[in-house]
Amino acid sequence: MIAALRLYATQVVLANRMALADRANFALQAGGMFINNAFMLVLWGLFFAGFKSVGGWRQGDMALLMGITMTVVGVSGVAFGGYRDMAATILRGELDALLTQPKGLMGRLLARECLATAWGDLIGGPLLLAGFARLSWGEAPLVVAGIAGGTVVYVSAGVCFASLAFWASGARSFARDLTDFTLVFSTYPGSIYRGAVKAIAFSILPAGFVVMAPVRMVRDASVETAAMVAGAAVLYAALAMALFHLGLSRYRRGASVAG
Amino acid sequence: MSFAVTAAQLSKSYRYSRRGRGWRAAFSSEQVTIEAVAGVDFQIAPGERVAIIGPNGAGKSTTLKMLSGILQPSSGAATVLGLVPWRQRKALAYRIGVVFGQRSQLWGELPARDSFDLLRHVYDQDARVFARRLGEMSERFALGELLDQPVHRMSLGQRMRCEITASLLHGPELLFLDEPTIGLDVTAKAAIRDFIREHARDHGLTVLLTSHDTRDIELVCDRVIVVNQGRIVVDQPTDQLRRRFLGRKIITFQSAGAAVSLDLPGVTRRAGAAHATVLEVDTRVVRVEQVIAAAMADGGIEDVTIEDPPMEEVIHDIYAAAR
Amino acid sequence: MTSTLRRAEARSTLRAAASALRMGFDQTLAGWPVLAGRCLFFGLIMTVLSALWDKVAAEQVAGAIALPPGGVVLYVGATEWITLSLPAVYLRFEDDIRSGGLEIHLLRPKPYLLQTLALGLGGGLARLAALGVTAILLLALSGRAWPPLEGLAFLLVLGPLGLLVGVMLYALAGLAAFWARRTLPFQLIIQKLMFLLGGLFAPVTLYPAALAEVARASPFAAHLYWAGAQVMAPSLMGFLVGAGWQLAWILLLGAACLGLWRLGLAKLLREGTI
Repeated sequence: MIAALRLYATQVVLANRMALADRANFALQAGGMFINNAFMLVLWGLFFAGFKSVGGWRQGDMALLMGITMTVVGVSGVAFGGYRDMAATILRGELDALLTQPKGLMGRLLARECLATAWGDLIGGPLLLAGFARLSWGEAPLVVAGIAGGTVVYVSAGVCFASLAFWASGARSFARDLTDFTLVFSTYPGSIYRGAVKAIAFSILPAGFVVMAPVRMVRDASVETAAMVAGAAVLYAALAMALFHLGLSRYRRGASVAG
Repeated sequence: MSFAVTAAQLSKSYRYSRRGRGWRAAFSSEQVTIEAVAGVDFQIAPGERVAIIGPNGAGKSTTLKMLSGILQPSSGAATVLGLVPWRQRKALAYRIGVVFGQRSQLWGELPARDSFDLLRHVYDQDARVFARRLGEMSERFALGELLDQPVHRMSLGQRMRCEITASLLHGPELLFLDEPTIGLDVTAKAAIRDFIREHARDHGLTVLLTSHDTRDIELVCDRVIVVNQGRIVVDQPTDQLRRRFLGRKIITFQSAGAAVSLDLPGVTRRAGAAHATVLEVDTRVVRVEQVIAAAMADGGIEDVTIEDPPMEEVIHDIYAAAR
Repeated sequence: MTSTLRRAEARSTLRAAASALRMGFDQTLAGWPVLAGRCLFFGLIMTVLSALWDKVAAEQVAGAIALPPGGVVLYVGATEWITLSLPAVYLRFEDDIRSGGLEIHLLRPKPYLLQTLALGLGGGLARLAALGVTAILLLALSGRAWPPLEGLAFLLVLGPLGLLVGVMLYALAGLAAFWARRTLPFQLIIQKLMFLLGGLFAPVTLYPAALAEVARASPFAAHLYWAGAQVMAPSLMGFLVGAGWQLAWILLLGAACLGLWRLGLAKLLREGTI
């Protein structure tokens, strides 16, 4: 277990150094994302200055939501950045070389890339949480737990979408679209969703479990809200592993479109 | 004797549904089966160096993929180092090295040393043993300062030397090479061939390679398996094959004036362009130098190139002879 | 050169631009999976944004600013329609200028700038068409009240004009490639100004007074706001004012693009490489 973690850490460090190899580009992407987020915050600031609240959500709740979303996307991109282009990796047949190695296929796939833009999120998210989300120090462990749960769900969803590449060659852009759609849901007040839209946000595009459930857990700490975050993380991680391995066995039978 | 590799009636077929044109086809499709590998049998002894050659789509890569555990066969059996590759992929992975000539396993933007260090963790290697192996190989392969250079700044030949090093650092017993010299220049190819041959000999390494270059086979392997349409056509020692099929050179003379006229035993003329004389030389009968000297004496030569006959041609000859 | 000759040359230049426009249109249609993905995204973002604005309209909190009658969902639909139609023109400029591919274009007799703008506009128009159909489907499915017919008619004019303003703004970012290795930072800033001053998520009239004034006069409002405003409260006067702002900005931005292009070209011809 410790050896596996160390191996994973080595890979993440390598991926980050690779992203840093072109410093100007890295600064541009990370800084660009930071400014991008800042603009969105100005827009939300204007919104809440004018309308005060939406569905019971106030500025502080929105800051909490955006802060968790940004941190989740940041952690995912820095430590599990391979999720973003995994479908393309599968379709290019790059699994072959990894399959001839003895260890941690999923780990190798997730850690093969670090997204420079994610650093912009990872710096902005905690700043936002600390400055505007109206949190007390006592809530910090809840926030960290919420971010951990959200990250697991977000990366797992990404792996599920990427696994479609084992079945359909068009999955490359589709998988990215689905990840982006999940993100769109994750950047609006959870209180606005009703009916079918809400059902989608808590299933196929699990924005509900990426941020809304963690936000609820922080604002209303209870066994149920905590169980919801933890349960979703376990469930989505299991689903992602199952789907990926189903696809992988198909790939190894030679029935897959990839390779 | 226990073999390093055995394959018995090893087969792989792919199925896909073929749709015709027109609206009718939208509702019906025809199942088509392609036999990529159709029941191959062979054994490879430990320390043997074997080439699998054949035209594109002959089933070389599919065979290599099945033997390295990436792909499951549709029927038949195989063992590699006593293991069933597709069932014991991980256990096997520790004991084999794989190089895909067209795909890099190194991190482009970082020095090769960093990739090697990662692979040390992947293969659970002791740091000291690993450092010793890297030291040996870097001396043998003249890696030296290359180790600290970002991989994407290397020439293709330098990168390939690093790729091969990467596949050997965990001390595998068996090395799979898929087109290891593709796209390289003559010197780089020679360096790679020398290294593989010597390293394999010194460490008792079993080598299984596919290539399009007849020289790879001649200089590295002691046995050749020719496949075509998923079946083994020929399985012979390289020596035997060389005598029959590989002992030829193609010499092209460019001349300003009339075509070169030569009448030597073992030399046959082939069709060429204007001002170019293309000769096929049987090196068992006449030496290349002799042919060139004779042509030079004739005068008016502007340029000379010496080539091996292309793989397709050799395979065609072998295939024709086997029938 | 006689005036007849000059007129003939202008005609042939325009013909070439028209064929570039058609090519951009066809090319975008040919990449239909990407286009379909964009339509899907349009549906999704509209679902989210209408949920947001309906919620705001449903519960007017004390002290909050009032929404215009009928809400702003249709307005947001129009601005998203234009935003999602805008192609990444800056990348094309960056590719051509930075890869040295520009030289090939310079050997051709037709002006590169006009050809490239036409190509981008053509692609944008194809997206406007596909997203327009999507918008009508979405509106029908939502069961929402339709905007007044004249509002839609005005939108059909102001939408494409707004798109052209956006294409030119992105072209400015792209032309920066003569001086900067990457155009992305310029594009990002312009895009964010489009969102904020253009009024992507809400009409600029809802902004604090001073900000609203600045926004209305900016090219970003010409890109989005004026077209969107016509589906909320259509009026001939509003249409004419909007179109006036748009045309003025098209002329100004056109001049700016041309100026930047000439400067860049002079640099290229002087220094040989970028």
